[in-house]
Amino acid sequence: MKNIKYYAFPSTAKEAVALLLNKKYKAMALAGGTLVAKTLPDTVETYLDIRNVPIKGIKLQGGNLVIGAGATFDEIDRSKLCRSWAGGVLSAAAAKCSSQLIRNMATIGGNIARPHSFNIFPVVLLGLDAKVRLAVRSGAKLTDLPGLYAASLGLRPGLDSLITEIIIPAKTRKWRCEFIKLAKTESSWESYIKLFFSLEKKGRAVQSRICVGALSPKPFRALSTEAAIAAGAAPQDCAAAFAAELEAARAGEYRSAAASSLLRRFLEAVK
Amino acid sequence: MNNKNMIEAKKGFFEITLTVNGEPLELAVKNGEFLLDALRRHGWKSVKKGCDTGDCGSCTVLLDGKPVLGCLVPAVTAHGRAVTTIEGLGTVRKPHALQEAFVAAGAVQCGFCIPGMILSSKALLDAVPAPTEAEIRKALDGNLCRCTGYVKQVEAVKNAAKKLAGKRRA
Amino acid sequence: MDATKLKVVNKPVTKMDALGLACGEPAFTDDMDFNGLLHAKLLWSPHAHARIKKIDVSEALKVPGVKAVLTYKDLPRVPHTTAGQGYPEPSPYDTYTLDNKVRYVGDRVAAVAAETVEAAHEAVLKIKVDYEILPAVLNTFDAMKDGAPVIHDEEDSKNIPDAQHNIAAKFDFEVKNGDWFKEADHIFEHSWTIPYLQHCAIEPHISIAYFDNTGRLVLRTSTQVPFHVRRIVAQALKIPVKNIRVIKPRIGGGFGSKQEVLEDIVAALALKTGKPVKLEYTRKETFISSRTRHPATCRMKAGVKKDGTITDAEMEITLNTGAYGSHALTVMMCSGSHTIPMYRVKNNIRFIGRSVYTNMPVAGAYRGYGATQGFFAWECLMDMMAAKIGMDPVEFRRMNYIKLGEGSPVFKAMGEGREGVEQVITSTGLFEAIKKGVDEIKWAEKKAKYASQTGPIRRGVGVACMMQGSGIPEVDMASATMKMNEDGSFNLLVGAADLGTGSDTILAQIAAEVLGIKADDIIVTSSDTDITPFDVGAYASSTTFISGGAVKKTAERVRDMIIEVGAKILDQKKEDLRLEGGKVVAADGVSCSLSEVANTSLYYYNQHQITASASHFAHTSPPPFQANFADVEVDTGTGKIKILDYVSCVDCGTAINPQLAEGQNDGAVVNGISHTLSEEMEFSSNGTPLNASFRRYKILSAADTPPVRTFIIPTWEPNGPFGAKSVSEIGINGPLPAVANAVYNACGIWLSEAPFTPDKVLAALKKKG
Repeated sequence: MKNIKYYAFPSTAKEAVALLLNKKYKAMALAGGTLVAKTLPDTVETYLDIRNVPIKGIKLQGGNLVIGAGATFDEIDRSKLCRSWAGGVLSAAAAKCSSQLIRNMATIGGNIARPHSFNIFPVVLLGLDAKVRLAVRSGAKLTDLPGLYAASLGLRPGLDSLITEIIIPAKTRKWRCEFIKLAKTESSWESYIKLFFSLEKKGRAVQSRICVGALSPKPFRALSTEAAIAAGAAPQDCAAAFAAELEAARAGEYRSAAASSLLRRFLEAVK
Repeated sequence: MNNKNMIEAKKGFFEITLTVNGEPLELAVKNGEFLLDALRRHGWKSVKKGCDTGDCGSCTVLLDGKPVLGCLVPAVTAHGRAVTTIEGLGTVRKPHALQEAFVAAGAVQCGFCIPGMILSSKALLDAVPAPTEAEIRKALDGNLCRCTGYVKQVEAVKNAAKKLAGKRRA
Repeated sequence: MDATKLKVVNKPVTKMDALGLACGEPAFTDDMDFNGLLHAKLLWSPHAHARIKKIDVSEALKVPGVKAVLTYKDLPRVPHTTAGQGYPEPSPYDTYTLDNKVRYVGDRVAAVAAETVEAAHEAVLKIKVDYEILPAVLNTFDAMKDGAPVIHDEEDSKNIPDAQHNIAAKFDFEVKNGDWFKEADHIFEHSWTIPYLQHCAIEPHISIAYFDNTGRLVLRTSTQVPFHVRRIVAQALKIPVKNIRVIKPRIGGGFGSKQEVLEDIVAALALKTGKPVKLEYTRKETFISSRTRHPATCRMKAGVKKDGTITDAEMEITLNTGAYGSHALTVMMCSGSHTIPMYRVKNNIRFIGRSVYTNMPVAGAYRGYGATQGFFAWECLMDMMAAKIGMDPVEFRRMNYIKLGEGSPVFKAMGEGREGVEQVITSTGLFEAIKKGVDEIKWAEKKAKYASQTGPIRRGVGVACMMQGSGIPEVDMASATMKMNEDGSFNLLVGAADLGTGSDTILAQIAAEVLGIKADDIIVTSSDTDITPFDVGAYASSTTFISGGAVKKTAERVRDMIIEVGAKILDQKKEDLRLEGGKVVAADGVSCSLSEVANTSLYYYNQHQITASASHFAHTSPPPFQANFADVEVDTGTGKIKILDYVSCVDCGTAINPQLAEGQNDGAVVNGISHTLSEEMEFSSNGTPLNASFRRYKILSAADTPPVRTFIIPTWEPNGPFGAKSVSEIGINGPLPAVANAVYNACGIWLSEAPFTPDKVLAALKKKG
């Protein structure tokens, strides 16, 4: 932070993006700040505080759940809307983020802006087929979570664009979901593994999302496990498929064993 | 972007306006300084440095009523906001109900974490007047204490909640 | 005797510093501003073992604002120990304020004082060091081998028993009554390990060195041992004790880490610059370069008869003391002396102890002090034996624990760094503690219920019993001074160091009880080497027992002086007078106030200040006892252990202040639970610490902490002040064995490597099949 020359407090997303794109300022956008403020690159000369940008609300829009990127973990934890959506999995995940003091500061936008194994929300948003809206030079851009972390996006949120909202599609509203942070203690930052499971039955068809976080900076979907579930395999067989998939992802013996037994438990409970 | 929304460094310092414990102030903040260091440098010694990495909570202050980590908040970002430290909650002559409750419950051992712990409790009781034990433990989970095992601190918050509820009814 | 007639002692008197602390009053070392304060930063070794071939500070000195850079060339070479223990310290003299050799990643290389932290930091980076890297040894097993790198190859260190094999301390002891294991029906042998653990006081190590208006050096420092700081800094820097004053303000936790004298370097910087200098360790520095618990491997072998008689017991403990031997001998001896006597052993006892140097962080004193390591082994072994002979673990303990009036050959054979004292148990509430714990945890009911479980979640209950000491007999000494004021209040001056434990308050309670007044009529000043009389400091669970004894004697002398004046005022015989309710009261009911006594002594009768001093030491160290019970749940799918309920019943004699005693025990137990479930310092293959932060070295938060219930079991210790024994350390020893035993009860696995992380649990379950 030692090279900061300006602190800017823009009041609209447009204003913020204009400032980010102005070469004079060498700006970086921060919301809650938390760890990013502590490790700000020395190349940054303008600290762009986006707290006045109106991107905080949590609302229903066209049947979708729309979470402003500036919503804090604490706000998501307490939001009635989030608590009722998909069995409250977003709130449950928000509550699992380190400590109340961090939850009061850190935002969902900040949490997903860069891939990191500490992050809480990406694994959940991946599983909920969420879309992310960014304010960019030309206006707005919409992407899904894998797209946000793909090189093809061509953007660096916070440096040349701003994440403004996260859109959780209407179809997920009643999904049966579970978020698990398997860690040494409840308030550990680090975890062995983060898991998101969801399952929905439509007649005979079973659709699931089995997502894995914390093994690598970006979360991933366990597609062969999902396929096994869709094929109607027994819970222990789905769990075995999951264990194999995790082993292949170099999760190691412990994580594979623990995560697969958690999946089995989830599938048995759903039945 | 108009200038009102921008603060520029002058000779390595940023001039900010804010309120600390209700008092409007202009503070000169060093470049790169976090709120914890700025407050201590200006005399608010109750804000403690236990880790400087956002993990212990002894630097907790209320920023616009929300408990945050002073060591992670760039001091300039407190511009235009209200900061509350434990000095602003109550004093030895006129303590706040939470401070009294912590003392009465024997929840203060070394006392280093206590200002932060009480400020987190204050924000909890402001939002949830009659919290459950789980809610108390969750609200305090960022304020590490190595002395007490949290037993008497949780008890203190419960007692303070009852006392404050009584005051409201009265 | 019992405590029922007491008026101030055994009451939950409000801790006298609590309100000021709750209001954020400036009370700690760093809460005072000093004009012209310089900031110190140290250059730490990046190598586990290296010799400094060349060190060039010229560029560092050029950094604007830098006032001094010190290397080993600038300081006297004085072998000493940083262990803040009684003189002569039983730890080897193997440490130098700065040396031309570094012995672990994080060892001191050089020190800088500058006008700003940033300048000091920049200067540190500009010190050029040319190291000759030496082979390092990172574990005790390799360190003891012939031909291992010799960590202390210097010729001037003292009291290292076998530097060639990196043995910092050794002690062997045997009681032999016949052939080993001759009578045993079953023989058990197993090993338990404890990793590197940090104290995690929330206030990091911090000291400010400055000069008073006569030029004397003042150390305002976060320490448990002000008088030892004064002595050891004087020794290390070769300056007279009379030129140093040490002040301990409020301190933000210690737990043993601040029994370590690390103030020499900031004092050296102040002496060099003539200016006030502050040295504040960062959290990372506190993890790496302050002190830790001694990692240990404890092997025990024991024999038992089918009827439950323990026939033989052997404990072999190997402690890793790291690069320096701070507390190396005494922690090792306490791991046996505080644990082996817990149970009667019919025939043979053997103790084999080694503390071994490695190129790793330095271990030191830590709450529990060896007993934590020893009891993990002994109490788990007890359950293994009970399981084999088919006896309930509680019954097995009841049958064998040390009873009132009983002694142990270990007490005499093993002291702290030397021979101990002969002693028998003069008070014990262990029977009642076990009974209370059994009731509270619902032992029998749960044992029955848990006997037939199915499914992935398994529950179990476990027990552990412990003892500790109360001060070091014939070593620890404390003293106190009291003087009377006109209004009948008193100043109490004690060398004792309140770390947040509440010792100022309980010492006031003891004095107030003797003088028949309220505790808040006592003004306590503690821990200032210029003002308060000597006390060894806060360690070895000594303050209540030893310092409390000194305060009681002092108050009794003051009482006698008051009664003498009162006798004159009331025209009564001294033996007919007593102190009560702030008055001198005669048998016939006439009285005079203490204020009148004070004024009379000051202005009328044989004009004198009513004041007295007294010292106290003890010939025994009466152990407090505990029974701990854990009710746990093991998720056999994930390996997660959840503690559902934890009950800790403690016999600390009379609790001088039950509320503060409970708080001491709660804190000790939760620290122990944190050791059990999560804590462990991790290192890279070259000895670099990997998780030196609260983010990655996880201590329990309020949300992580299970329900902990402390119950005080009152007893009366005839050798303690108003029947008191110690309370502060013992509770930390219970959770490792109690939880391990509960996990065995839940799912049949023995966990013997702390901490019990989910991966280890799952691996053990898999091994069991």
